[in-house]
Amino acid sequence: MTTNALKVTLLDTATGEPREAELLSSITETQLTDVEGEWKPALYDRFREFKRAGKPPAAWPGAENRHWDWRQKVEMLQGLLSHDGYCLTCQGMTEGLMLIDTSSYRCRLPENEKRNLVYIDYVENAPWNRPELKQAPRYRGIGSILVGAAIERSIAEEFKGRIGLHALPQAEAFYSATCGMTDLGPDTAKQGLRYYEMTAAQAEAFIAKGKNR
Amino acid sequence: MATKRTMTLNLTDAEMSVVEDFSARKDMSKTAVMRQALRLYQLLEARVEKGDKLYVENEVTKDKAEIMMV
Repeated sequence: MTTNALKVTLLDTATGEPREAELLSSITETQLTDVEGEWKPALYDRFREFKRAGKPPAAWPGAENRHWDWRQKVEMLQGLLSHDGYCLTCQGMTEGLMLIDTSSYRCRLPENEKRNLVYIDYVENAPWNRPELKQAPRYRGIGSILVGAAIERSIAEEFKGRIGLHALPQAEAFYSATCGMTDLGPDTAKQGLRYYEMTAAQAEAFIAKGKNR
Repeated sequence: MATKRTMTLNLTDAEMSVVEDFSARKDMSKTAVMRQALRLYQLLEARVEKGDKLYVENEVTKDKAEIMMV
């Protein structure tokens, strides 16, 4: 994985001010340490508050991806040209992570059937940026920047901006409404998760929307 | 993006014809096709090295056939 830093901007929700951040095309030991030392305890704190509020643990909105082990994922894919990692950092802290696959998946939309795309294997925000955990997120814009990075990568690979992913239920609205991706419905081969795909035209519209913000 | 290096690739007519066919069908340059091929080759080799077997499955009949990697 190569490490090229790109300056990006997040919205600091506490102040309403933009905050400079860095997008890197790598996931290093620093990010894995942040996940293990900062993300996991923060997630546990939120879970404890949730339980103390008398809510059943089964209804915990953070359960959907609690089994994700970023260290294991990164180590398994180390050195493979087909997979790449991205991270978003702000003020020395990892705020978002993404793993993509540029080889194994093909488009399902009829107009692009069997054409190559960039598949987003995993994408996650730091727990304090996740509104579904019933809190005001610290930063906004992380998901859009990471999806934008996947689109840029797709363009660089000559896939014309086409991307695809299986969404966790909590993120479905983001991919359909915010990203403008096409919902191809539940996929029984992926635990019934809904599959979303973005065409070249949708990618262009997504990038144009970002520039007009 | 990482720094790129250039190499000359000598192919037979038949091999070049396959690259050109992929390039046209996938609407990608020949360089992008070769890059994809390398990624896939490395990925499959890594799985086979680990002891995994490769299968292709017919979507309709569900018939499976093993791909032998040598």
